[in-house]
Amino acid sequence: MRIFHLTKIASLSAICALGLGCNSTTKDEKRTRIVMIPKGTTHLFWKSVETGAKQAAKEHDIDLTFIGPQREDDRSQQIDLVTNQAQKNDAVVLAPLDRVALRGVALQVAQMGKPVVIIDSSLADSDSFITSYIATDNREAGRMAARKIAELLDGNGHVAMMRYLQGSASTEQREEGFLEEIKKHPSISVVSSEQYAGATASQAQDTATNLLTRFTRDGKLTIDGIFTSNQSSTYGMLQSLRAMSHAGNVKFIGFDGDASFIDAIKKKEMQGTLLQDPARMGYLGIKVAYAKLKGEPYEAIIDTGATMLTLENLEQPDIADLIQSQVP
Amino acid sequence: MNLRASLKMLGPLVALLVVYFGFGISEPAMFNRTVIINILSQSVIVGIAAVGMTLIIISGGIDLSVGSIIAWTGVIAAFLIDQSLSPILVFLTAILCGGLCGFLNGSLSIWLRLMPFIVTLGTMQIYRGSAKIFTGGTPINLPFDETRYQLWMGGTGFPYGIFLLLVICIFTSWILHYTRFGRHAIAIGSSPATARLCGIPVLRTQIFVYVIGGAMAGLAAMMNVAKSSQGDPTTALGLELDIIAAVVLGGARLTGGQGSVIGAVIGALLMTCIRTGCVMHGIPTPWTEVITGIIIIIAVVVDRLRQRHTLC
Repeated sequence: MRIFHLTKIASLSAICALGLGCNSTTKDEKRTRIVMIPKGTTHLFWKSVETGAKQAAKEHDIDLTFIGPQREDDRSQQIDLVTNQAQKNDAVVLAPLDRVALRGVALQVAQMGKPVVIIDSSLADSDSFITSYIATDNREAGRMAARKIAELLDGNGHVAMMRYLQGSASTEQREEGFLEEIKKHPSISVVSSEQYAGATASQAQDTATNLLTRFTRDGKLTIDGIFTSNQSSTYGMLQSLRAMSHAGNVKFIGFDGDASFIDAIKKKEMQGTLLQDPARMGYLGIKVAYAKLKGEPYEAIIDTGATMLTLENLEQPDIADLIQSQVP
Repeated sequence: MNLRASLKMLGPLVALLVVYFGFGISEPAMFNRTVIINILSQSVIVGIAAVGMTLIIISGGIDLSVGSIIAWTGVIAAFLIDQSLSPILVFLTAILCGGLCGFLNGSLSIWLRLMPFIVTLGTMQIYRGSAKIFTGGTPINLPFDETRYQLWMGGTGFPYGIFLLLVICIFTSWILHYTRFGRHAIAIGSSPATARLCGIPVLRTQIFVYVIGGAMAGLAAMMNVAKSSQGDPTTALGLELDIIAAVVLGGARLTGGQGSVIGAVIGALLMTCIRTGCVMHGIPTPWTEVITGIIIIIAVVVDRLRQRHTLC
């Protein structure tokens, strides 16, 4: 009996030793697993984030999972995704749908000792536990839009801003930045900023049509400038302006990229759209998470920048590259 | 029958007029031609789908997948337009595709003996997912020089879509009240067991009801593509609730046997009217949602009280 036990223990420890041996040799080969959780997967924007992330994953041979909630306002599904994916991955890169709702679950992951990198939208009161915040300086981007509209209007006129969705930190910051900057021009008045476009382009188009109708007198628009703060609201506004034959009669600055925005800029129906650099955001998100895991240096806050796309700079090579990265 | 049918419509119509003139008194721009066209054309998508949904609800069923059918059929239509298929064929394909989705809904609930609520809860995900897989997740834009479809939902005059809604509404109302099929659908909704005993072909009628509902969703999808010049796999999310709300506002009972096609269209107009009125007044969006909810509940409660007094 005893001998049997001994042999059992011996063989067990041999297996253990073997196992350990194997482990120590394969440890370096075991691929780092990182999950990136975007706000949604359907907007073109997230496609380019994914492209950038894939590139970084390729460079460092990372096992990348890219998975997002089905709709861009489903906070609870995103919370579940973070919880589930954190079990299987070494680090989480997250674009939070809500700056407060996602805080608790992000904190939990950080307390498990796994790096949390926040991209695109900020998370409330999170400096102490997140690894890094990588995003467009959205407030500044909003200010850029306001400066451009003020310049186009020579500093006076009526302006309308159509918001995107409540609770979406990145677009709210753009909207605030826009309102802040436009206030510096006393002869420009904001006649509407209380309407939210809603989650889909189709809803945005209805809201835009009603808004434009409100500011139409005798077939003419009484507003001189329009700002919309994301891709779907810009698309809806553009479609509505075209359908009501107002396109080109009003200075219109949008946000994000789409083939139809480029077309509209060429036709002078839009005077500009702000392009972020989603591919860079995705790329750096993975890079920083990897650096943290490997104990390499990284920056705590990275601004990936916004670029105003206009008719004048459309053909510049660096801008063309940026467009290429996010407009199919 | 006719008196009862017209009485049934009276409730929603009164609600619509009260809301419309309520908004109009404080903002006369509500009476402008453009605003009226806006309200009508923004009701087309929900309205057409609600006509189909009324048939389904009258026969005792429900279709939660209607928003997903609109997205799925829409991306197929946009793809075909991109391949420069002629508009007539695109329209026919959309109707056919919607009809097939409806056929699947109807036949699955009958063959698997599952409640349509559960079946369509499942197909809602299936059609939505299919749309996302088919497009790779991103919308399919129509070619920029493609303008033939815009007249259906835009342009300077009355968009064709409004007339389409009107024709569909009247035609379906006639089918419901003056054909054997329509009467069968109502009878099945009132009491499936009695209907079966009376020799009504219950299964065939039920499947046909879902096919019509799906085909209407296919037409609504065409209107959505025409409106936004793209086939968007995420469009019409949650639209099924707007559509069901329109049907209920129109005087239908979710338990079946009762409902009005014209009422449902008026219900759709009522909800659009609230939305348009709120934007015209500069009322912030969250309040619009609260107001819409309150008016839906009040309208249905008032309608039920009135029916108790006049019909029973």
